[in-house]
Amino acid sequence: MHVMEGYLPVGHCIAWGAVSIPFVVAGFIKIKRIIAEDRKAMTILAMAGAFVFVLSSLKIPSVTGSCSHMTGTGLGAILFGAAPVSVLGLIVLIFQTLLLAHGGLTTLGANTFSMAIAGPFLTAGIYAICKKANMNKSVSVFLAAALGDLFTYCITSVQLAVAYPSEAGGVMASFGKFLGLFATTQVPLAIIEGILSVLIVMALETYAKPELRAIGFNKEA
Amino acid sequence: MLTIDKLCYLSKLRYENPTEKFLYAILTLLFCIISRSVAMGIIVMAVNRYLTVHKGGISSKRYFHLMMIPFTFLVLSTLAIVVNISKTPLDAYAIPVGDYFVTGSYAGVWKGVQLCVTALASVSCLYFLSLNTTMTDIFSVMRKFKVPNLFIELMLLIYRYIFILLDVAMRIGISQDSRLGNKNYRTAIKSFSGLLSALFVRAMHRSRYLFDSMEARGYDGEIKVLEEHYPVNKKAAGVMCLFHLVLLAVTVYIKVQGVVFI
Repeated sequence: MHVMEGYLPVGHCIAWGAVSIPFVVAGFIKIKRIIAEDRKAMTILAMAGAFVFVLSSLKIPSVTGSCSHMTGTGLGAILFGAAPVSVLGLIVLIFQTLLLAHGGLTTLGANTFSMAIAGPFLTAGIYAICKKANMNKSVSVFLAAALGDLFTYCITSVQLAVAYPSEAGGVMASFGKFLGLFATTQVPLAIIEGILSVLIVMALETYAKPELRAIGFNKEA
Repeated sequence: MLTIDKLCYLSKLRYENPTEKFLYAILTLLFCIISRSVAMGIIVMAVNRYLTVHKGGISSKRYFHLMMIPFTFLVLSTLAIVVNISKTPLDAYAIPVGDYFVTGSYAGVWKGVQLCVTALASVSCLYFLSLNTTMTDIFSVMRKFKVPNLFIELMLLIYRYIFILLDVAMRIGISQDSRLGNKNYRTAIKSFSGLLSALFVRAMHRSRYLFDSMEARGYDGEIKVLEEHYPVNKKAAGVMCLFHLVLLAVTVYIKVQGVVFI
C-alpha cells in the first residue's frame, strides 16, 4: 500500500528518507559487488526490477472486485534476496510514482521503507527461518510472502499514525484506526499474494530450474 | 499500456527545458506540503490544471480520471483522521454507540479538509511533471543532480525492459482469455500465476540474449546516449520565480503568524 503524494508532513518525509538511506546504500554496494563479479548480473538485475514493476502493475483477480495489485517486492525478496531488492524496490517505486501515480515523490522515503525495506527483509527472514526448520516449501513461501505483505501494511499504518495521532487516544488509537480501515482491502490481498507466490514458485521449480540457478535461488537443487 | 508514459510524448510542453519543469514541480510541491494551506492548494491545483490541460493539451476528462487514481487511499485515510472513538464527545459532532462516542472535533475536521486539498494539489504537481516530461528527460535531470551513474544505468535498463515484459504479459493474457483462462475465480488465479511464471522465464531468457547482443556492440557498463538540449524558456522561468516568491511569502506568513484557517 502506497502513501499518496503530499500526505505526510515535511519532517516525516525527511525522517523516513533518512531511515531508508543506509539500507539503500548497503543494497547499492552489494549490487556493485555482484556486477563487478559477473557483468551479466546487470541485465539480470534490470530484468528483475522490470519483473517486479510489471508484477505490481498487473491487476490481480480479487474477490472484492476493486482494483488491487501485488506488492511484488515479497516475491522479489524470495527470488533475489532482500538487499538488492531494496535498490530495485526504490527504482520500481520511482517508476510507479511517475508512470502509474501510485505513491509520491515526497513520500518516496516512507514508501521505500515500508515496501522495499521492511517487507522484503521480513519476507527473506521468514523464508530463511522456515528453510532452516525444514518446513514444507509451499508453506514457507506462503508464510513469507503473506506476512511480508501484512508487515508492509502495518508499517504504513505506523507511518500514518505517527504523522496523525488521534485526538482521542494519541498515536496508538490512530494506529488502530488505520490498521482497521485498511485491513478490509489489505488482508485479503496478503492472502491472495501468498497463494500466488506459492503457485509461481512451484511453477518455476518445475519449468525454470536453470534460470533459478542463474540467480542463485535454490542452490542445493 | 502505460497511459501516462504515452501522454507525456504527446504533450505540447514536452520540448520545454526538463530541469525547469522539474524544479517548478518540486518547489511547488514543497510549498504545498509545508504551508498546508487550503487556499494555496486550490490555486496550485488550478494553475497545474491550466498548465497541463490548456498548455499541455491533455483532455480534461482524462486529467480528471487520472486525478481520481489515489481516491480510495485519500478517502480511507482521511476518514481515519476525522473519525475518533472515545468515551467523551468532542465539539464538532458525536454519535453515541453504546458507552462510546463516534466523534470528531472542528480542528480535526479542518485538518482532514486541509490534508485532502494539500494531497490533491501535490498530486497535481506530480502530474505536471509526469504528464509533460518524458522519462529520458527525467534521467537527464537526474544526471544533472549527480545521482550515481550505476543507479541511472539500472533505471534506464529497467525502463526499457518494462515495456518488453508488459508486451509479453499482454500477449499471454490475451491467449489465456481466448482459451477461457479467466472464466471463474479459480481459473483466474491459476492463469495469473501461470502468466507470471512464464513471464519470469521469458525475462531471464531475454536478459541473456540482451547481454550477449549488448556485449557484441561493445557494452562496457555504461550506455552512452546523446542528450537533447532544450533551451531555457526565460519568460517561463521569470513567471515561475515570481509565482514561487509569492508562494514563499504566503508560506512564511502562515508559519510565522501561526494562521490555521487559510
